Amino acid sequence: MNVLRAWIEERLGLSAVTLFLEKKEVPRHKHTFLYYTGSSILLFLGIQIVTGVLLAFYYQPTLAEANASVVRIMTEMPLGWLVRSVHSWSATFMIAIVFVHLLGIAFTKAYRKPREATWVTGVMLLGASLAFGFTGYLLPWDELSLAATKVGTNLPKAIPVFGAWLTQVMRAGEDVTGDTLSRFFIAHVSVLPLAILAFLGVHLFLVQRHGMSVPHEVERKGVKTPGLPFWPNFAFREAGVWLVLLGLLITVAVVAAPGIGPQADLMAPAPEGIKPEWYFLFMFQMLKLFPARVLGLNGELVAVLIMMAGMAALLLIPFIDNRPAERKGKIITGLAWAGLAYAVGMSIWSLL
Amino acid sequence: MKLPYSLFSRRAFLNSLIGGWVAALGAAFISPLVKFIVPPTREPDQVSAPLADFKDMAPHTVKGFAWGNKPGLLKKTEEGGFIAFVGVCTHLDCNVSFVAEQRRFYCACHEGWYDENGLNIAGPPPSPLRRLAVSIEGDTLIIKKQA
Repeated sequence: MNVLRAWIEERLGLSAVTLFLEKKEVPRHKHTFLYYTGSSILLFLGIQIVTGVLLAFYYQPTLAEANASVVRIMTEMPLGWLVRSVHSWSATFMIAIVFVHLLGIAFTKAYRKPREATWVTGVMLLGASLAFGFTGYLLPWDELSLAATKVGTNLPKAIPVFGAWLTQVMRAGEDVTGDTLSRFFIAHVSVLPLAILAFLGVHLFLVQRHGMSVPHEVERKGVKTPGLPFWPNFAFREAGVWLVLLGLLITVAVVAAPGIGPQADLMAPAPEGIKPEWYFLFMFQMLKLFPARVLGLNGELVAVLIMMAGMAALLLIPFIDNRPAERKGKIITGLAWAGLAYAVGMSIWSLL
Repeated sequence: MKLPYSLFSRRAFLNSLIGGWVAALGAAFISPLVKFIVPPTREPDQVSAPLADFKDMAPHTVKGFAWGNKPGLLKKTEEGGFIAFVGVCTHLDCNVSFVAEQRRFYCACHEGWYDENGLNIAGPPPSPLRRLAVSIEGDTLIIKKQA
């Protein structure tokens, strides 16, 4: 055993990593629970990869077969309904925790120097996660998913200069067709996974490089509680959190397995009550409320520009709020609360 | 005026020359890939259908036809003529339906309404439904892009 270890050590030099993990400490304070959100996202990402590969064994991304193959997965394949249900629910869990992770970092101002790049890669990861959700929603190819995709891919059209081209790139042409389905599938199973793993690699590296951020209010109080050793103390606690989340996921997946609507028909009118995934509801509601013309401008353009400004602001928060760590940053905290209240309020309104 | 030293070292000059060359080469490689991404669009110039399929429609009713990848809607008017629309909402591209009782077109996605002549009357749609030109040649109905 020792010989083998020495052999590996000589070739890979992994002791630097194990030494780092042995020394790594997780700060202990009243916001420590936020440190668990990152690893919980990794748990659900792992589940998505495994169940996604399983679903891809039987799923067929063609106009004729997509809907039928999902029905087949759910009715004929052993435990197929469960695999699909876990994939669908795990996506929801993952995105929910991504939002908690993001808000936690916004509230504790953990994006400040030197962690700006960590934040930017994090926002990229958020974008990739939402893109996963958006592309995955079309794949069952039922009435709802077709209508939602038509709306979603039409949005960039309102952007001047390159918007129309962007819509064509997303749709593979002027309209949503079978080519769109192939394109969404390959984005969902190949392009986005590569992108998310690349960004994740940089993100995790940066988190290790800078160490865990400690909120300034905790540091200022100066009460030095010893950190929690990452191994084994924190890792075991993490494992406990994972077990609870996993149990919750399986329970929900068994109790509330998603259904599937009738096969999408490119010529049929949009069905009543179309709804995107819950994390796009606030944008959906905003589009519904915007009148055709605002101050003499196309209402859709105004709505899309507001959304783009919001995304840009989110991405650039560390550069907008680049004050030293000892400043409280009440404005950002207020904006984070306002954004949260807006998103939750609009989402609830859209469900009424 | 003669400068005592060069603003541009030979190294910087060569670096930017090579950098520019690499960028140009990269662009030359990427542009065909970008071109490949968007397939040619295939909106039909015209579609035709046997008149018999549509002849017996009552006034103020609507029947669908395929306008390329999009749904087309053919409406019989009071006077017995036909008008045709592309049945796609001008707001965000959802397919609209005709609500016969109210003689209006409706888009379920964001609750947009059009009157029976395709004029946007309520909700978010910014413009009327796109009209197509209808003509009858013998026993064939011909629907064309409007000039």
